[in-house]
Amino acid sequence: MKNALLSAVFGLFLVSTATMADDMPTFKVLMKDGRIQPDAVEVPANTRFRLEIKNEGPGAAEFESLELKKELVLAPGVTRTMVFFPLKPGTYKFFDDFHPETGQAKIVAK
Amino acid sequence: MGNAFFVVWRESLEAFLIAGILYAWLQANDDSGKGKRALFGGLAAGAGLAVLLGWALLSVQDELTGEALEIFQTATLFVAAGLITQMVLWMRKHGRQMKARLHADLAAAAEKSGYLGVAVVAALAVAREGAETVIFLYGLAQGGEMSALAFGTVTGFTAAGFTAWLAAKSLAKLNIGLLLRLSSILLLILASALLMSALDRLIGAGYLPPLLDPLWDTSSLLDDTTKGGKLIADFSGYRARPALSELLIWAGYWGLVIVGWRKTHHG
Repeated sequence: MKNALLSAVFGLFLVSTATMADDMPTFKVLMKDGRIQPDAVEVPANTRFRLEIKNEGPGAAEFESLELKKELVLAPGVTRTMVFFPLKPGTYKFFDDFHPETGQAKIVAK
Repeated sequence: MGNAFFVVWRESLEAFLIAGILYAWLQANDDSGKGKRALFGGLAAGAGLAVLLGWALLSVQDELTGEALEIFQTATLFVAAGLITQMVLWMRKHGRQMKARLHADLAAAAEKSGYLGVAVVAALAVAREGAETVIFLYGLAQGGEMSALAFGTVTGFTAAGFTAWLAAKSLAKLNIGLLLRLSSILLLILASALLMSALDRLIGAGYLPPLLDPLWDTSSLLDDTTKGGKLIADFSGYRARPALSELLIWAGYWGLVIVGWRKTHHG
């Protein structure tokens, strides 16, 4: 019973994210050679949004933000998207965990 | 090349440390060699799993598979944290039995499940971080950076092995009571760090409400987005900007551990 309830809730969550996905603003981030472009991604505050992250390589990259609690490993040449929950206005750092010295950038929610 | 070294060292250090601490403990407590065999078996199985998981992560194309893998990775974090905690409490009980040299037959049954625990913990530790190392090395190979690949792999693994050997060696120098206590505490801190990354993933994916995020901000004291700060965060569970729900679960974890710890002491 508990399991059925849990999977129902989970299913609803999946459906709701799927339907909401279309009207979400999308922003692009490019990871290339240990660097991140642009170094500041401006997003609307208090709105769900999506990041489309492309790793042009060479080499793997790991998008990581402890502040935003997101982590994603990208093999070279791979593009993946990630959905973010509404952010309060402010600046949020993220970095390439495979290139911590050079790959630093931030998301600015306005 | 320095970067390849750093990443390989950091990614493999956790697995080596867990192996090192377990080895030091088994060395002091287990004369039969069964425990060590379980440990090495677990490490080998973990390496195989790491390659498999790394390959799965690399070949992900669609979002749905990506999400399934994400859930799988979060689950392994929880399982690893839980198993390490359980194992530490088992070690505590078992270690005392061995010291007293009593109930040898009674211990045999508990021993078997305990060794299985050792093997599974070792395998999970290697598989988890190993998968990321596999992807990182694969990336280097694809980029044609063979010298960085060779250099990073050899020096990174060697340095992580050396770090763990040093930890195990220093632990082994201590008297048995201190060795047991210190290795237990180190493993529990590692387990709580795994729990924190699992909670991070749950909050990031929207399954766990953060309640209040951030609860505070200590990034001016110790910033977890820098190279060194991230390393500390990875191994201790430290967060410069923790969410309230995370902190509550973290506190609950330590509460339970302390209760379990006291219980094995009296039991």
